[in-house]
Amino acid sequence: MSLAAEAFVSQIAAAEPWPENATLYQPLREDQILLSDCASSLAVQAYLRMCNLPVHVSCRSNAEYMSPSGKVPFVHVGNQVVSELGPIVQFTKAKGHSLSDGLDDVQRAEMKAYMELVNNMLLTAELYIQWCDDTTATEISRPRYSSPYSWPLNQILAYQKQWEVRRKMNAIGWAGKSLEQVYEDVSQCCQALSQRLGTQPYFFNKQPTELDALVFGHLFTILTTRLTSDELGEKIKSYSNLLAFCRRIEQSYFEDSQAGSSSRGYSKGPSLF
Amino acid sequence: MAAPLELYCWKGDWGLPSVDTDCLTVLAYAKFAGAPLKVHKITNPWRSPTGTLPALKTTEESTRSLSKPSNIIIHLRKQKYNADYDLSAKEGADTLAFVSLLEEKLLPALIYTLWVDSKNYVDVTRRWYAENIPFPLNFLLPNRIHNQQLERLRLVRGDPTLEPGEQLEKELYHDALECMTLLSQRLGSHKFFFGDSPSSLDAYVFGHLAPLLKVKLPNGKLQQHLNSLDNLRHYCTNILILYFPSEGGEPPIRKVSVHSDSSDFDSEPHKRRKQILSVLFAMGSMLGYAILMGIVSIQHIRPQAALVGPRHIEEGGEEEEDE
Amino acid sequence: MGTVHARSLDPLPMQGPELGVHADDIETPDMEQESKQEVLENKDVIVQHVHIDGLGRTKEDCLTYEIAGVFRAKNLIDVMKRAHEARQKLLRLGIFRQVEVVIDTSQGVDALPNGLDVTFEVTELRRMTGSYNTMVGNNEGSMVLGLKLPNVFGRAEKLTFQFSYGTKETSYGLSFFKPQPGHFERNFAVNFYKVTGQFPWSSLRETDRGVSTEFSFPLWKTNHTLKWEGVWRELGCLARTASFAVREESGHSLKSSLSHAMVIDTRNSTILPRRGALLKINQELAGYTGGDASFLKEDFELQFNKRLFWDSVLSASLWGGCLLPIGDKPTCIADRFYLGGPTSVRGFSMYSIGPQSEGDYLGGEVYWAGAVHLYTPLPFRPGKGGFGDLFRTHFFLNAGNLCNLNYGDGPRAHLSKLAECIRWSYGAGIVLRLGNIARLELNYCIPMGVQSGDRICDGVQFGAGIRFL
Repeated sequence: MSLAAEAFVSQIAAAEPWPENATLYQPLREDQILLSDCASSLAVQAYLRMCNLPVHVSCRSNAEYMSPSGKVPFVHVGNQVVSELGPIVQFTKAKGHSLSDGLDDVQRAEMKAYMELVNNMLLTAELYIQWCDDTTATEISRPRYSSPYSWPLNQILAYQKQWEVRRKMNAIGWAGKSLEQVYEDVSQCCQALSQRLGTQPYFFNKQPTELDALVFGHLFTILTTRLTSDELGEKIKSYSNLLAFCRRIEQSYFEDSQAGSSSRGYSKGPSLF
Repeated sequence: MAAPLELYCWKGDWGLPSVDTDCLTVLAYAKFAGAPLKVHKITNPWRSPTGTLPALKTTEESTRSLSKPSNIIIHLRKQKYNADYDLSAKEGADTLAFVSLLEEKLLPALIYTLWVDSKNYVDVTRRWYAENIPFPLNFLLPNRIHNQQLERLRLVRGDPTLEPGEQLEKELYHDALECMTLLSQRLGSHKFFFGDSPSSLDAYVFGHLAPLLKVKLPNGKLQQHLNSLDNLRHYCTNILILYFPSEGGEPPIRKVSVHSDSSDFDSEPHKRRKQILSVLFAMGSMLGYAILMGIVSIQHIRPQAALVGPRHIEEGGEEEEDE
Repeated sequence: MGTVHARSLDPLPMQGPELGVHADDIETPDMEQESKQEVLENKDVIVQHVHIDGLGRTKEDCLTYEIAGVFRAKNLIDVMKRAHEARQKLLRLGIFRQVEVVIDTSQGVDALPNGLDVTFEVTELRRMTGSYNTMVGNNEGSMVLGLKLPNVFGRAEKLTFQFSYGTKETSYGLSFFKPQPGHFERNFAVNFYKVTGQFPWSSLRETDRGVSTEFSFPLWKTNHTLKWEGVWRELGCLARTASFAVREESGHSLKSSLSHAMVIDTRNSTILPRRGALLKINQELAGYTGGDASFLKEDFELQFNKRLFWDSVLSASLWGGCLLPIGDKPTCIADRFYLGGPTSVRGFSMYSIGPQSEGDYLGGEVYWAGAVHLYTPLPFRPGKGGFGDLFRTHFFLNAGNLCNLNYGDGPRAHLSKLAECIRWSYGAGIVLRLGNIARLELNYCIPMGVQSGDRICDGVQFGAGIRFL
């Protein structure tokens, strides 16, 4: 969302408490959503649960087009619409909910840097595998992406999306990479995350932050989504502390028995166990 | 020892060893790692082996050359020129993270401020490139880079109808200012990001910040913010002084390094060929224009052709500046 | 289809018949021939030959239908009358720039003493005509290029292409039109188009890319059009501040619909008629031929004109329509009806009546609107017989209503819902006729039945359009 609007929003938002009817919009869970969108959506859900903010998840086939930035997920809170994790974090902060208040300046800088690492490498790799790997694009991404539409619109929209992502890859210099190189990048990224996490329960010790939500969203989704090859998941599985980290967050925030965490609207995909 | 690697990059100005972020990054890394590169500072990307700058010509296979800074750095690392040798695994992870931060948050704003913001682009960037790129490419390339960069911003932001304007500037600059503040906080009072010796992260940060520090831009919101962050400003000037002492803002004094005293003309036969071709092309297009406009006469063409001559010599002069 | 269904973006105006030749212009043809009548009236003649001179790429076979009537003439007056009719028919094909008629006695070996030869001297239109316009609208400039190939294959087929390149949007349309030889009203057309519309009253942007084929034919006194249309519609918010209800409608959809339109028009002019009536009935069924949208849409338009004293005309119109969703999917914002504005219910802002959310009008599934006008010439009739005749003053009374119905409720509930909360207004103003296709209105309006949420335009209101209530 725009910054001008954002500044304005922050002002009003601060005055209003988090409403009960806050809604998160994402593409259709069973038939449509793709790995990267699912990961982003799960990250936002995890973040809101960590903040203990209830949100109802609504699946819409046109979620991507409803979003003000064209990216999913987005939340509709009161009469505000905010998309993507970064702005949502700012938005909740304006309402007085923040996970990163306890960090010092250096830690906050590192947290932001690692969040960009996930966006820059994991998210881009997910997009690459979805749309630039021909097998995945043909067997999974195009049919799923276009499932709500009838012929010939489904073909047009799917190819349009693929074309757009490929041009983006071209612009950021990923077009020349092979699938192996992309897996290598993912591996490198996971190694960095694993190093940073070490033996701590969360990235910045005892308390989760938005970085934990983001990492969880991506890793958990990659681990629980079936693709044409499971190489992506295997890359993560070789880092046991990351696996344990995912389990920990899943147990703490997504198990229904947990008190305080709202389970409305969340029907979990395959679990890690 | 094998022949030194050859690096092609944009030439410098404004007291910078190169005007381009990627070239600066690579140059800085090479200095930090002590890699003995033979550097060709050129102003015609078509003369680089990959068609883009920077480009590293590797020795193993004569056909292979690298152009992405990350690939070049990886290659140098493989050649045992490793500035990150002393870093712990966690510091290596941090490097990766902060480089991502730069690419996601600062780079778009940097592109915007240099190539898209109309005042900066027309007054500074386009002028510099138009003056330095040899004719006739100087009419073509700046505009093409401008369009490519705008397209890149559009794709990265995921908004195909994106127009340069206040709204976009605000969003990009917000991210960039935050990024610089974070870098400043992370750097603290250290000399380099990881202790006392520079690493690849320092090369990336330097590459992204130095142009902002040195290039005089009419619309300088990013520069103002960078200037207010004392430690980052000192950090950049420090690197310039320590590692690029020859670029003191004065016209570069030719510093003869061991590897670059031979003239390019001897080692690069195809270069001269390209030069001749470009002069021929220029003359051909002028002639064609003259014929089209119906002003063909020997008296008219001679002076025009004569204009090309000195330029040819000028280009030769530039070549000798190579380090 | 203009006013009420703002969403039905007609492709750039390039449907079949040219609007150039109109009843008003052809009303007084026979006068100059009267002087000769006395002498030649009763003399029997035979039309022996009919020539058409000046044909280039036009195929003669399709013209024989148009001129066949001339052979049946029995006397000279009849010949002239029929020749004139044939000339009008030829001009109507839209392939000749000029048609002259020459009637002469027959020459040659087989010439009969009372034989006549009729020659049509025609000038064909150029193979291709182009046009170039620049337009400046609110915050947007555009350049419109038009190409027209009249008579592509020699039988009055027409190929039209329009391309509009704007600073924000590009639109284009390609259409092919083919009449049946001898029955110009029976024709067939195919259109391809892309149109972008911005609807600030709904904070909505719509881009349509579509194909349509239509078949028009006359039946007794009516004109019918059968049409299939397949449109890829892309809806989006016009601004970030758009209401969530509009946001929810964003995205792509495919509409495939069959529609039928019937028109009976006995008026003497489309813009400022003095007599006659108009009935238009339009029905559209979407969803049975594929696509995402399924609905049945019916609407009608009725207009009566009656000439009163001193050249004044009393005109009464009634519009109405309803939209029934088929299946459990709700109707799309792009299919619903909109009401209000200087071309429908005056005194209200453009399409600003009825259901709305955060200031964005969402349209309704059922509507009606009625109006009574009294048109009079300008006071003191300046410029009579010339420029002044383009103007009229009018007094009007408008009323209408637009709402959504719960289709489970039954007809009585529907009628009572449409009858309550009626919007109405009255006022007076000046009407200017622009050619035979559009009119401008400057009115002083007094809106009366205003409901909460409606946006009114109290006082002076300016309107321009091609279809008026």
